[in-house]
Amino acid sequence: MQTSKKTLSGRRVGAVAAVATASLLLAACTPSAMGGQSGAVSGDATKGSITWWGWTPDANNAEKLIAAFNEEYPDIEVEFVSKPIDSYDSVLSPAITSSDGPDVFNVAPGSANGGVDTFGPGAIDLTPAVEKALGPDWASKVSELGVSGLTVDDKLVGLSAGAVYSGNLWINQGIFDEYGLEPPTDLASWKQVCDTLEAAGEGCFVQGAGQWAFDMDTFEAIVENIEPGLYQKASLGEASYTEGDSGQKFTQAMETWKSLFDEGIMQDGAVGLQQYPDANNEFMQGKYAMIMMGSWYTQYAVKDSMVTAMEAAGVSDPEPITIVPVDFPDLAGTGQVGNMFGDADYGLAVSGRSDNQAAATTFVTWLSTSQAGQQSVANTLNNIPALHGVTPDWDQIDLVDPAAQADVLSAYSEQAAAATQPRFASVSSELNTAFRDALVGVAGGDVSIPDALQTLQGVVDAE
Amino acid sequence: MSLSATLPDAATPTGGAPAARPRRHGLKPTANGLPWILPAVVVVVGLIYFSIGYTGYVSTLDWNGFILTEPTFLGLANFSEMFGDPVFWKALEHTAVFYVVTFTVQTALGFTFAALMHSQVFLRGVYKVVVFVPTVLAPATMAPVFRQIFDADGQLNTFLRAVGLDGLAQTWLAGGTTAMAVVMLATIWQWTGLTFILFYAAMSQIDTEVLEAARVDGAGNLRTLWSIVWPMCRGTTVALATLGLIGALKTFDWPYLITKGGPNYATEFLGTYIYHTMLSEKRFGYAAAISVALLVLALACGVLMSLRNRREGRA
Repeated sequence: MQTSKKTLSGRRVGAVAAVATASLLLAACTPSAMGGQSGAVSGDATKGSITWWGWTPDANNAEKLIAAFNEEYPDIEVEFVSKPIDSYDSVLSPAITSSDGPDVFNVAPGSANGGVDTFGPGAIDLTPAVEKALGPDWASKVSELGVSGLTVDDKLVGLSAGAVYSGNLWINQGIFDEYGLEPPTDLASWKQVCDTLEAAGEGCFVQGAGQWAFDMDTFEAIVENIEPGLYQKASLGEASYTEGDSGQKFTQAMETWKSLFDEGIMQDGAVGLQQYPDANNEFMQGKYAMIMMGSWYTQYAVKDSMVTAMEAAGVSDPEPITIVPVDFPDLAGTGQVGNMFGDADYGLAVSGRSDNQAAATTFVTWLSTSQAGQQSVANTLNNIPALHGVTPDWDQIDLVDPAAQADVLSAYSEQAAAATQPRFASVSSELNTAFRDALVGVAGGDVSIPDALQTLQGVVDAE
Repeated sequence: MSLSATLPDAATPTGGAPAARPRRHGLKPTANGLPWILPAVVVVVGLIYFSIGYTGYVSTLDWNGFILTEPTFLGLANFSEMFGDPVFWKALEHTAVFYVVTFTVQTALGFTFAALMHSQVFLRGVYKVVVFVPTVLAPATMAPVFRQIFDADGQLNTFLRAVGLDGLAQTWLAGGTTAMAVVMLATIWQWTGLTFILFYAAMSQIDTEVLEAARVDGAGNLRTLWSIVWPMCRGTTVALATLGLIGALKTFDWPYLITKGGPNYATEFLGTYIYHTMLSEKRFGYAAAISVALLVLALACGVLMSLRNRREGRA
């Protein structure tokens, strides 16, 4: 009997342990609406220790922003933890369901990593905080794209620190000067520039067309050149990719996209390369004269940032190159150039599970709505500030070649800040993937233009 | 070259009385043992079988993977979508071609290297290391090298142009067929070392008397390899075939790191497609459905190869 009791006891212990383990696993893994939000923010608004997770800005710029914040709030300690963008969603997802996770985390609009649609349920609504900081008419004081892109079901998930815009080329001014070239303004001059550079053994235009997000930038720039706003309308289902006048314009846009490959403007093997690191490295190594990048490239106009970027691209003991933004060429001959499009680069969200929500909200609000915070953001040149009227303090910025860059960059910042068209915010993840199939397929000759456009239309119709 | 000159004595007993069955004192199973094996049971059931079951559950959902987002139950809709998804079938086709090519080439090379290393080759210890080293190198460290070599302006094209073979220079990673060839080459480069080591060990187990008998019967080197050594390495070949098949089904690192599954799905495998569907498209349910298909395929292939091996073993 003694043995039986021991056996029963052993079984009971084992069963209890097994059930407990299974319950823990189930509790940890079962998807459910766990809330994660509270009506009032917790903690002290002027002191505490908070952690901020994000894929951007880079560590140097984050330290600059935190240092500026600490001048005003010395008792709030902020630790920035940089996470690779490729794995951001997978590491953030479990982290923000725990109070041990980040207090502040980056979110992005639309279908990008860190998307607000995905992570919105894990963040508190920041509308009261921004109202308190900027007043009831706060929405008129900040970038509209930053607000609309980071709002989900009337909940302001993140406050935009700044935005990034695309739709232009960047040129290596040194190469253009060396061969006496002017930036291309249309297809013919683009081909001419490329012919001249290639005859001299220089690379002309580099794009990592295997990384389709940047293909979408180039394609949107082409569509903006044909008819501004049409790209967004079609992605929202308000215009057709295949039918009527808009269908003809998208066919023209797709033919133009294909011509970049057929006419030798894109470098050989473009669809086999990624924009990062391949194309970026090639440009930073000075092997190519032009690249399709957006406003985030402005930071490399700064001497030490350019040196760091060139070293990261494998250049030893680099002499910083002078880069300048130029309008995307008028490929369709419409004269409609200079249209940029963008989204909030990153929004700052406060975790619903944070024990320091008040301090976290103070940091987020300061960085995204205060003059000092936005000036710090502007001076990194990584983002166009969200708060209207804030521009980089060029006198404080050590450009590679101020004579060639200062005026151009100043005008470029204003041009970008005036943009109203979104970059990815209106593109669902399904449409994003369809663009991959369409643009890479057409570029490689694997997909016909009608089939590519039908693929895009099919996705929009299903949404 | 003489195989019999260097192959060691057989380690496998070839005759004698059958060994007595081991006595099993103290091994009688009792319920009292449950607490002792419980940690292992919890780990295995909790981490592996629970995860498999949970993946099966997620495959019935429309869910973006974030734990605070409420999923929608879809039943078997993800599976029906999967069967009609051309990329899924393309990934399977790539897997089949990839397996046949990589297994065949690795086996041929591994077997040849093993045979050569059993002969009197100068510095054979060095060659063993050289052949095996790629196996221990992480693909993440070597993928950029392959990308550089096969870049349009990479070392391969530079070499081809330098020797006057300009016509052969091409954009290797931008073409579907050539990109797949590069992925296969990287895989073969990495795993031939393991194949070689296993064949080398198998050849070491062959009784030298068998090889000497073949010599006495007049068999030359090639005849000995083909008719004696190769059949006696059959167990190793079957094991490599099974591991290779399961490995092909799980292929992820090389295609992801070299081509990201492109261009235009030309190097898409089930592993890369699952990753892309889950993280880029945030369709965890659909990715889980493909994962379930992958599991079923791996199990089915493993069982089929095992059954075939047993049947042939009996014959």
